[in-house]
Amino acid sequence: MDDPTLPGAPALESRGLTKHYGATRALDDVSLSVASGEIYGFLGPNGAGKSTFIRVLLGFLHATAGTARVLGHDAARESVAIRRRIGYLPSGVSLYGDLTGRRVLDFLGELQGRPSSRREELCERLGLSDDVLRKRVGEYSHGMRQKLGIVQALQHDPELAILDEPSEGLDPFMQQALHGILDDLRREGRTVFFSSHVLSEVERICDRVAIVRDGHLVTVQDLATLRAHRHRRATVQLRGPAPDLGGVPGVEFVETDGPLMIVTLSGSVEPFVRAIATAELDDLTIEPARLEEVFFAYYAGADDEAPAGAGSAR
Amino acid sequence: MSRALFLQSLQNLRLRTGVLAAVAFGWGWLMVFLFTTFSPAMRQLAQASSMFERFSQFGAGDFFTLPGALTIGFQHPIWIAVLGVIAAGASASAIAGERDGGTLELLLARPISRRRVYASILLALLAVVGALVLATVLGMLTGVGVHGLTSELELLRMPLVVLNGVALWAAFTAVGLAASVTFDRPGPALGVSLGFLLLNYFLEVLGSLWQAARWTQDWSLMHRFRANELLTGSVPTLDFVILGGVFVAAVAYALVVFPRRDLAAPT
Repeated sequence: MDDPTLPGAPALESRGLTKHYGATRALDDVSLSVASGEIYGFLGPNGAGKSTFIRVLLGFLHATAGTARVLGHDAARESVAIRRRIGYLPSGVSLYGDLTGRRVLDFLGELQGRPSSRREELCERLGLSDDVLRKRVGEYSHGMRQKLGIVQALQHDPELAILDEPSEGLDPFMQQALHGILDDLRREGRTVFFSSHVLSEVERICDRVAIVRDGHLVTVQDLATLRAHRHRRATVQLRGPAPDLGGVPGVEFVETDGPLMIVTLSGSVEPFVRAIATAELDDLTIEPARLEEVFFAYYAGADDEAPAGAGSAR
Repeated sequence: MSRALFLQSLQNLRLRTGVLAAVAFGWGWLMVFLFTTFSPAMRQLAQASSMFERFSQFGAGDFFTLPGALTIGFQHPIWIAVLGVIAAGASASAIAGERDGGTLELLLARPISRRRVYASILLALLAVVGALVLATVLGMLTGVGVHGLTSELELLRMPLVVLNGVALWAAFTAVGLAASVTFDRPGPALGVSLGFLLLNYFLEVLGSLWQAARWTQDWSLMHRFRANELLTGSVPTLDFVILGGVFVAAVAYALVVFPRRDLAAPT
């Protein structure tokens, strides 16, 4: 697939990937590309099709239609070759409760057939001490199991990490540690594809985001474009008369309440700033654009169209 | 086969294997002990009553000869239950249990094909089944030695008995594992596996107790374990072929079905 927005060769690409269960369309015609070395967020609420997409990539599910290639291998026919080069964290990871944490990592490392070169570093960063690893996994809290799941996915230093809801169950400190680990992977040229419904997390670490709804890919955007297209709110505290904002590009809605003027903006803020440059102001605040607003705009109703300027689903 | 998965599967079964092997060994010895203790009295009772003689026989076994007593040991519900824990229980829950518990996707996220996963688990189960049959025979041989009955048994034929026993339980294990790859949850797989075992047992017992229904034994895999015949001289080749055929059919089914199945996210 040729995608001029990609900075490198695709680590992962799908074309028209479709998965039906009888009349239920879990995935419908999903086409996307993930470049090598990028962190790619796959965003959507529970049941949107995120895990189904990942399971087709890994060969757990057979696509009803379409194709997918991971690290150059066909997902349907070369699944073992793909799994040799990736690390995978399932959503709500289940581990062997009667084994110790260390034994789980040893066992899964042996099956991977590659040295677990990152294990110590990951355990240290995620606070999995030797004492913890000596305990049976059945005694672990949900958060501890999630940390062990992250280590098993990344301990062999995979070229591509596929992480399904990686921050699930982690406390804020550990979420920060996870983000640091993902940042380091990006710096080292590794690719990360991760699904999440935590918007702030995606906003914090991703290069690009795909939004999926009811099995459909709604849009794929880089973070900067996504932010540029969403609505912001400017709060203006006036000292003099209100400026005329009629016809100013990007100004969608103006609400005035005495000296307070609240302006809803879309796209670039520059025309708005120029329009109020001569006005007498006590204060001006433009709130940073938040991904939540775009996300909810896409989900504002199953039959609604995507917001203007959201771009194509490629 | 994956060595790591094979060893881990054995590790998962080690406690059950240890307990069951001890029970199987004791059971084998008990059969010899019961024979030495009660056989003379039973022979006298059988001479006095033909009805007693008829009901003192169980399947192909009886308590009038040492091979007959050992055969009863191999056909008794207790021994079937001991082997059934692994051949019908552990096999049925092996893959469906991993699937239900969510650990199967951790295995399959590794560079290991589903067929290798299946083969590794099957071989581990067969190793345990073989160990249990062997433990039973060792218990019998120990009893034979302790009670001084070596002259009543052709010891060199015992390996054939082990082989026949392993062939029988390997067939049940393969059927159990075939059920395991078919279902997402262990419950239905266990139902199929246990149902198959019980059906075979029912057909065997029905035919052995009721003359008019003797034909039902021909349809039971348990009737293909011919310990008495093996110990008394003949080698029932056809029975080995039938047991081998069931094993191969169940393995072939699993190797075709398992890689083609969709493994949706665990519930």
